[in-house]
Amino acid sequence: MEADSTGGNMGDKADVEMSENPFEPYIESLRQQLEDQDPIFLIGVIVAFAVVVITCVFLKYFLTSKTVRSAVLLVGLCDSGKTLLFSRLLAGKFKRTQTSITDSSAPYKAKNDRGSTWTLIDLPGHDSLRSQYLEKFKSAARAIVFVVDSAIFQKEVRDVAEFLYILLTDNVISRNAPVLVVACNKQDITMAKSAKLIQQQLEKEMNTLRVTHSAALSSQDGSVGGSVYLGKKGKDFEFGQLPLKVEFLECSARGSKGEEGDADIESLEKSLAKL
Amino acid sequence: MLDFFTIFSKGGIVLWCFQGAGVTESFTEPVNALIRSVILQERSGNNSYTHEALNLKYKLDNEFELIFVVGFQKILTLTYVDKFIDDVQLHFRDRYKNELEQKGPLKLIQNNFAFEDDFTMLLKDAEKSSKARSQGNMRTFDQSEKSQKTVKSMIETKGGEKVKEQGGKKNKNNKKEATAAEPVKLDQGKAGQKTAENGNQGLTSEEIMLKKREEFFRKRTAVPTEKPVKSPKPQKPREKQMRVWDMGGNSTKEVDYSRRNGDGSSNGGDQNQEAQIYLGEQLNSMKGDLLSVDYESSEEEEGMEEEEEEERVVVNQTSKTSSKKSGGFGGMFGMLKGLVGSKSLSREDMEPVLEKMRDHLIAKNVAADISSKLCDSVAIKLEGKVMGTFTTVASTVKQALQDSLVQILQPKRRVDILRDVMEARSQRRPFVVTFCGVNGVGKSTNLAKISFWLIENGFTVLIAACDTFRAGAVEQLRTHQRRLNSLHPPEKHGGRPVVQLYEKGYGKDAAGIAMEAIAYARNQAFDVVLVDTAGRMQDNTPLMTALAKLIAVNMPDLVLFVGEALVGNEAVDQLVKFNQALADHSMSEKPRLIDGIVLTKFDTIDDKVGAAISMTYITGQPIVFVGTGQTYNDLRSLNARAVVSALMKA
Repeated sequence: MEADSTGGNMGDKADVEMSENPFEPYIESLRQQLEDQDPIFLIGVIVAFAVVVITCVFLKYFLTSKTVRSAVLLVGLCDSGKTLLFSRLLAGKFKRTQTSITDSSAPYKAKNDRGSTWTLIDLPGHDSLRSQYLEKFKSAARAIVFVVDSAIFQKEVRDVAEFLYILLTDNVISRNAPVLVVACNKQDITMAKSAKLIQQQLEKEMNTLRVTHSAALSSQDGSVGGSVYLGKKGKDFEFGQLPLKVEFLECSARGSKGEEGDADIESLEKSLAKL
Repeated sequence: MLDFFTIFSKGGIVLWCFQGAGVTESFTEPVNALIRSVILQERSGNNSYTHEALNLKYKLDNEFELIFVVGFQKILTLTYVDKFIDDVQLHFRDRYKNELEQKGPLKLIQNNFAFEDDFTMLLKDAEKSSKARSQGNMRTFDQSEKSQKTVKSMIETKGGEKVKEQGGKKNKNNKKEATAAEPVKLDQGKAGQKTAENGNQGLTSEEIMLKKREEFFRKRTAVPTEKPVKSPKPQKPREKQMRVWDMGGNSTKEVDYSRRNGDGSSNGGDQNQEAQIYLGEQLNSMKGDLLSVDYESSEEEEGMEEEEEEERVVVNQTSKTSSKKSGGFGGMFGMLKGLVGSKSLSREDMEPVLEKMRDHLIAKNVAADISSKLCDSVAIKLEGKVMGTFTTVASTVKQALQDSLVQILQPKRRVDILRDVMEARSQRRPFVVTFCGVNGVGKSTNLAKISFWLIENGFTVLIAACDTFRAGAVEQLRTHQRRLNSLHPPEKHGGRPVVQLYEKGYGKDAAGIAMEAIAYARNQAFDVVLVDTAGRMQDNTPLMTALAKLIAVNMPDLVLFVGEALVGNEAVDQLVKFNQALADHSMSEKPRLIDGIVLTKFDTIDDKVGAAISMTYITGQPIVFVGTGQTYNDLRSLNARAVVSALMKA
């Protein structure tokens, strides 16, 4: 009996050894071959492998760094004063402007202690160009300055609200949640409305727009527009209910002293510095 | 003489401007109008534009992204303006090349472009040259060519042979005779020459030289006078050639449709009575083997148009393939050259690609002259632009064309019907929508769909049956009203029916019925009035006048033109004539034109969506609704990007 068990044990051990053995000679032969080779060749292989790993890491770093959002967009309806505001923010000069048909971008140094620089991008406001430029730049937006013409606001309130609604319900923008600054421009004109009044009127309009846009027709290939619901259901819409920060301020790109004087854009510069 | 001249960047910053002496109005408004109506609507084919009393000419510089605009009074006809703009552009570019190449708006803002001196100098030169050119001397009769011809040589004889005339008028006669004698001699001389040349070897060298000198002089004097001798050959009387059509058959039997499917132009409606006659006629026509496809009859009126379009498509396709073949080998190295390095685009580079794109658009059912206008506009936008590395000409042109198509389809104003209806409701007046269009496009069907949509959103609708001509129009609307009311019964909507029909039978004046319907709606506090009009062809002047009167008198809030997506080049004609009629017959200063387009039968075209482009390009108005079927749910809004991608798909 014992002989059998030992024989069995021996058999087991032999089996284990047999299972290890098929790898053993291979590993042994590999080790032999490596040692036979030139050590320089070995080092070369290791260095090449390391270089490949490092380039992969670098590529990943570069690809992800492109999506860092560092742009401040100037959007608004046609003739609201975006291009003049752009010129004032960058160089403080007054320039005559016409309707823009392409975007303009330039680096902007914020007036704060850190001295951070953003890219200030001025998008055209014309209805036919608005959406394609917004598509291009919305993912890179860190802050959006929505310029409103305060003097003729009463007549344009529905158009302003529509544009603002499209901005807020856009999927990319509501996901990134940039800072939204509503700049009520053209305050130098006497009939200009105050920022508070504009905020109240916009809130009322957006309330109605929530209903009409959800009832709007779907487009012919079945896709529906941004499906984000603004604010809280059942309650009247207020800008405070939104996930992103909204700030209303007044400014005047032309300035109270006409073309030669400075523009009253301190509040705008301050809020841009806070970014 | 010029009112103003501006140079501004495409981003909107004015680099330099000049205002003529005594001009007080700012030029911002006309230039903005120019940008919005011409450049943004892709009409930059011809480079001039009229705004009120001013004529504006412009030039795009695509390399540095600048626009040059000059404005002058419309009543002046200044001939030097075109060349002047070109000169100014070249001068400006050369002088400020460094600043402009930086491509940063910062530089443009900070720089002060002091261009006045150059500008005044160029202006003086241009004005001087135009004055000099306009005073050309007129030629006297003797100097003109007509005096050199003889009277007899201008008479055409029936024999077909040109009568060689040697005689003629007074002074020139001698010369003429001498020179006329020359050619005769020359002919003989030529014949003689040939023999002489063979025999030249026999003569001495001096005599050869003399002879050759004579020939030389003869040739010199003979050449200028050959021209007046050649009077126009009288044309041979040609017989009238029988015209051969490409797609026509040889016999006239195919054109005889009388045995086949009867009267095909009946629009909808009555079926029972006529169906039996219809079937009866078909009774014996299918005996024997089935006929092949060519022999099938085409019943609709658009049949002829479809054939013509097919011909055009066939011709275009053959020209496309031939141009592909010819560009094959030469284009291979050109392609490699074009891939690497930055070069600026020129017209010649873009021509083949634009041709292809134009044919592609036409194949996708965009109207022919609109596709050519679009391609011209894209060419002007891209001329001189510097391409980056690894971008081919074709890809740049395609991208630019795609962008401009999306731009055209984007609405130029806010389109939100529900919001406008709410606004009208708050003002206690009904929102009036009028539907107009040619016969059979789907006005009544889409009117029913739109009223269903409005009812679902809680508005009450009054349908005004102003189609008093077509048999069954009122009954059709009544059936729709009954169906809609059964879908949304009055009990659920506060006890009053959501849809009501206002009709006064047949044969009455449509404008009067519309006015009464609107007054009724105001009294009964209906939210929306939908006015259905009769279909009419755009060439039918009395009917167009009647439509214009209806719209002018009732001042609806929205005038919708209903057009089907199947229409081809006709769309241009329809819209232009409808708009023209509305503008001509309106009494007020600001006539009500077409405000929006309803594109119907969109499910019948799969990707030949070109009609959408034609219609929006011609009117500049947005497509408000898209009809995709016959049930109430088949109503959509337009997605510009999807339509453009379907259009650009190969």
